[in-house]
Parts: sequence; C-alpha cells; structure tokens
Amino acid sequence: MILLQSHSRFLLQTLLNRLHNLDKTIELDYHWVEFDDVRYHIQVSMKNPHHVLLSVSLPTPPPETVSAFYGGLPFGALEAIKIAYSGIVQILDPPRDGFNLTLRLNLSKLPPDEEYRHAILVKIASVREVVLGAPLRVILKGLGSRTAASNLDRLVALVHRPKESLFLIPQAEKVTVVFPMRFKDSIDIVLATSFLQEFVEARRTAGLSNAPLCLWSPTPPLELKGAPAEALSANAGFVTIVIFPRHVEGKKLDRTVWSLSTFHAYVSYHVKCSEGFMHTRMRRRVESLIQALDRAKPDSENSKKTGHNASFKRLSLKEGRTSRK
Amino acid sequence: MCLQNFPCQEVERHNKPEVELKTSPELLLNPVLICRNEAEKCLIETSINSLRISLKVKQSDELENILTKKFLRFLSMRAEAFQVLRRKPVQGYDISFLITNYHCEEMQKHKLIDFIDIDKEISELKMSVNTRGRLVATEFLKQFI
Repeated sequence: MILLQSHSRFLLQTLLNRLHNLDKTIELDYHWVEFDDVRYHIQVSMKNPHHVLLSVSLPTPPPETVSAFYGGLPFGALEAIKIAYSGIVQILDPPRDGFNLTLRLNLSKLPPDEEYRHAILVKIASVREVVLGAPLRVILKGLGSRTAASNLDRLVALVHRPKESLFLIPQAEKVTVVFPMRFKDSIDIVLATSFLQEFVEARRTAGLSNAPLCLWSPTPPLELKGAPAEALSANAGFVTIVIFPRHVEGKKLDRTVWSLSTFHAYVSYHVKCSEGFMHTRMRRRVESLIQALDRAKPDSENSKKTGHNASFKRLSLKEGRTSRK
Repeated sequence: MCLQNFPCQEVERHNKPEVELKTSPELLLNPVLICRNEAEKCLIETSINSLRISLKVKQSDELENILTKKFLRFLSMRAEAFQVLRRKPVQGYDISFLITNYHCEEMQKHKLIDFIDIDKEISELKMSVNTRGRLVATEFLKQFI
C-alpha cells in the first residue's frame, strides 16, 4: 500500500458486519484512534439495532485556526456532511461528550442494491475526509470554478494535526499550500528531509511536469509572513505545493483534498516504513557478517586430524611397555 | 598480524591484550595511521599479543551520518557474536576491532582480514532510502495528474 486510503478500514468492516447480521440484536461499543489523533466511537444499542451512533473527535486545533471552527467543526464541514450523507444520516446536536461530531446512521434506510450500498458505506467510513477536508475543499472548489473568494490573498490556517496547521494562500489563479513539517525523532527528521527533497527532484522529471509545483526550504517561505511565530518553527523544513485549477477539475477534487490533508501522515508513514526496511536489512547483513567470520575458522574436524599427526602420538599400551623396557 | 601468546607481566596467571592496557611500553609497537582524507581514516595499533584496528567511515551528509551510526550501533550491540569487535569504538573513530593472539590461532588470518566492508553497505542503504523517497514522491504527485 503506497497511498493512504481515505476510509477507515475498521469502521468499514464494522459497518459491513453490522449490516450482514442486521436481524441479530447485539450491543456494540468500540473506541479507536487513527493517525493524527482522530478518535472514533461507534455504538449500537439493544433497543434500536438499526441505528448506529458514530462519533468522531478531531485533532486539537492550534490557536491560529480556532477562529475557523464553528461549533467544534471546521467551516464548511456541516454542509459537506449534509451533502455527502443526505437521507441516511442525522447529525446529533450536541455531540457526545469529548467528541466533535456525532452522527446517527439508520441502516434500514440503505438502498437494497449491493454495490451502491457498499459505496455509501465506504463514504461513511471516510467521514474523516469529509469533515477535516471540508475547508480545503471549499477553497479548492472556489479555485476550480474560478469564483473569486472574499478572502483572496489572505493567509488561511487549517488544522491537520494536533496543535499543528497547514497554511493556504488562495489566489485567483492558484492556491499555494504550505506545510510546516515537524517530526519528533531525530532520525525521522533526517529521513523526512531527504524524502521531501526527493519530492522536489521527482517533480522535475518529464512524466510529472503537469503535477503541482513542489518546493522545499529549510526556512519559512515568504508566503508565511503574517503567520504566528510558533507556527513557523519546523524541524524538517517547509513544503510548498502550488495547486492550479487543472488539479481540482471534476473528480480530481476529492483526491487532491485527501492527499493534501494527509500529506504529513503520508510522509511519516513512509519514513517509518523505510526505517523498518533498514532494520531488516541490517539484521540480514549482521548475519552474513557472522557467517563470514565463521568461515574464517578452519574446519574443526580437519584441525583435529592435523593436530594428531603433527604434535602428538598416542601410544598404545603395548608400545608403552616396550619403550619402558 | 604476528601475534604471540604473552602472559601479563604484572599479575601472575593473567593474560590480557596489551594494546588495551598499555602497561609496559616495551610491548607496544608504533601505531600506524592510514588516511584517505580527514573523514576517512584507519588507525592500527599493535602490541605483542593483540592489535586494534579503528575505522572512521566517510559521512558526507546528515543522512549518511545517521545511517552509519545506526548500522555500527547495530554491529556493536551484537559484539559478542563477532568476537573480534570492540563494544565501544576508540575515541574519534566509528568502529574498532580488537584481534588477539587467540583469534589468530583459531581463525585463518587472511580470512579474518577480508571481513569488513562497511562503506559499501552504507552507500547501498543510502541508495535504497533515496530510491524509496523518489518512488513515494512520484506516487504522491501522480495523483494530481
């Protein structure tokens, strides 16, 4: 798996399971956490086995993005949920304690057609994409339809990780996205830095000349002039991606939103993977080195024989006696 | 590698690698330092019954530095499996080997010599990291096309 999938696999599995055993009344109560500190809670009670309560909690927003939250959700999220899940889902207000959003799903309202139903469940399982990606989607959609937004040329901060934000500079012809990249581990920082430089290199190859412009710099780019100081400290540099209208045409919009909002997770996932790969490789190497050392020892059987012949001669009893005489 | 068995002069029944203890100067020989440049060098210290080889590996950038550190730590942590490896490198070097007369007796010298090839491993590791980075980046950017 090179790319991250937008639906939560566990959530999809749980929903499918529930759907297949709809006539059984069981109690469900699961909590789980996904990358970037997104928490899920799913609950099915004995009383209404057809209703599923799904709660999602988002990463803690940094101070610069708090103003963009309405009722605990990023702007545009409520509308996006209504559009995405019309008819099947009901938004509960207020949400469950400790969560940003609670949805009530009515499984009996799902269409009978198998394929269509699966598509809807996948969509529900990607609730994270819908909610967290909503503001990004609004801005990119504006770019796609070339409707000049009111906040043109102004810096927009969006939460994408706990206490961290990415920055957008919407302009009439393009949207510039800046990611301050932070990693906790010193090895991660080095690996990620080299990965990010590869992004710039890869962009230069012929096949990707239509891909968005990609830049990496160790210092904050000029676009971030108005940003608060604590948002400008990044130990793995800053990545700037420039999105043009051709990247958000039609169906590409969803994909672009998802890949931009999970850019950090994507890089960090691959950093961890390559670390794991390195360890396997080193382990193998150590084994081969030990073998090389073993080869340096002469064959034990051989050495015994030569020892016998050269230095010692075992005397039999008879010989011993004769020699004494 | 002309090492011979040599019991300790101070303590009876002890037999220690003289290159480590440096108890008596008459048992030590002149150390040899082979340099390719400042970053890559090899120090060979010899004594009557043991010799110590220390290597400093080239680290041109931070990535190589990290990879070298990781790999050599990997090796030193498994030092007992290697017998000739020192758990801690000599100051200023990345990795050290301690070869005593016992090692020479039970192993064939020429095979002991062609044991280590760290440089190649590091550069291969670096290559693989870079290739992976390139692949990851390409896949990501492909999504936008």
